[in-house]
Amino acid sequence: MRIGVLWNKLADPKNIPRLFAFSLGIILIIGLIVPMALNPDQLYVRPAPQEQIDEGLAIAPYDRGGEVLSQPGIINPQYPDNAASLGMITGYMSPLAQWISSISPYFGTSIYSSPGGLVDEILYYTRGFDTILESSILMMSFIIASWLSVNYTMNRKNDESEIREDVKKAISDSTKVAREVKANDAKARAKQLRRDN
Amino acid sequence: MDFVTLGGNLLGTIPLGDIVLYLTPFNLFLFAVLLGFTLLIALSKPETQIEATMHTLNNTEVKVGPKEFKQRRFLSIICGLASAGAMITGDLFNFTLFMALVGILNIGIVSAVKQTSVLNSAFNYGLIAMMCSLPLFGGASIILAATGTLSLAVLSQMPASPMVVFGAVLMLIGILGESGVAPFFASKAEMFRTAGSPFIVIIHLSSLFIIVRAVEILLLVLW
Repeated sequence: MRIGVLWNKLADPKNIPRLFAFSLGIILIIGLIVPMALNPDQLYVRPAPQEQIDEGLAIAPYDRGGEVLSQPGIINPQYPDNAASLGMITGYMSPLAQWISSISPYFGTSIYSSPGGLVDEILYYTRGFDTILESSILMMSFIIASWLSVNYTMNRKNDESEIREDVKKAISDSTKVAREVKANDAKARAKQLRRDN
Repeated sequence: MDFVTLGGNLLGTIPLGDIVLYLTPFNLFLFAVLLGFTLLIALSKPETQIEATMHTLNNTEVKVGPKEFKQRRFLSIICGLASAGAMITGDLFNFTLFMALVGILNIGIVSAVKQTSVLNSAFNYGLIAMMCSLPLFGGASIILAATGTLSLAVLSQMPASPMVVFGAVLMLIGILGESGVAPFFASKAEMFRTAGSPFIVIIHLSSLFIIVRAVEILLLVLW
């Protein structure tokens, strides 16, 4: 194949998502052989998986220590001077969660036991700016979608002729699709027949 | 590589909890230039195109209506601000978030165009932008898992392990796709072949600036 043909294929917008998906797939496959070396020294340090269960803690393996508003939990902040009261709400649990943990030894293994105080701390304290940005991405996409639907998709007051044309086009399109489906059906049936004989 | 080597002396930081924006002459310059462009775009009016009509000797005027103009101006201003934010952020995850925001806004700016070719390429770019969220956020999270930090100032002092290199490569392909660099240029290049120039130009401008910043970030992470 001449290189010019390749360039021309690259200039067609239709081919770009496929090419991108292909190269992304290649890189992800290469990622399977990359040695994993996790850093255990994270912001929210976790004890070894079975340690807390052996100790018999009620919310094992999610006990992060600390007392709400009086004693910080187990943390290791990046910038300790920027977040002076970090860790103060790490151990917070709602009254309901406290009650369940008092009657059941398996509270820590259920999905709803992921400590609420910890998530709040990350979302609104240490990484609060991220939360703002994430929701602004959502807000922008809603603005675009709602503006388009209000002004274009839903607003068809002034184009009756266009609507008539669109209906005609939709009818012809659907007959075309039906014909294609029929043709494919016949082809598949012929193939099946050939295979059966 | 230390960020002082790349960007010049550290002039100050803006601490937002664990996210610290740092100010060096390099970042400040990019930030100021983008803000200036955004201001120019906010004050300008869209251009009109004249196209030859097929099969007759007439010309057709491709105009941007007042409603569409307002929407486009709003989106381009936000797009300029988002890319300016990507210029001074000192946090890897913030950078990827700003990129995702710019990608969404780029589609939004051309979303009301009445040319099918433009809409078609915007759709294809949208597909890429959707796929890009995997390598962008995945790359950032892999780097976080490998080093325990997202702060560029801390990352620049750390040696790069194979996992960090993989995360950086993932981020790179996300950036390439999202900003439409070769070989993924076609869908984005076709997107701004329409009227309404200054607003369309911010699509191009934001990806140019983000590529410059991405090179700096990759150097910080890998060296």
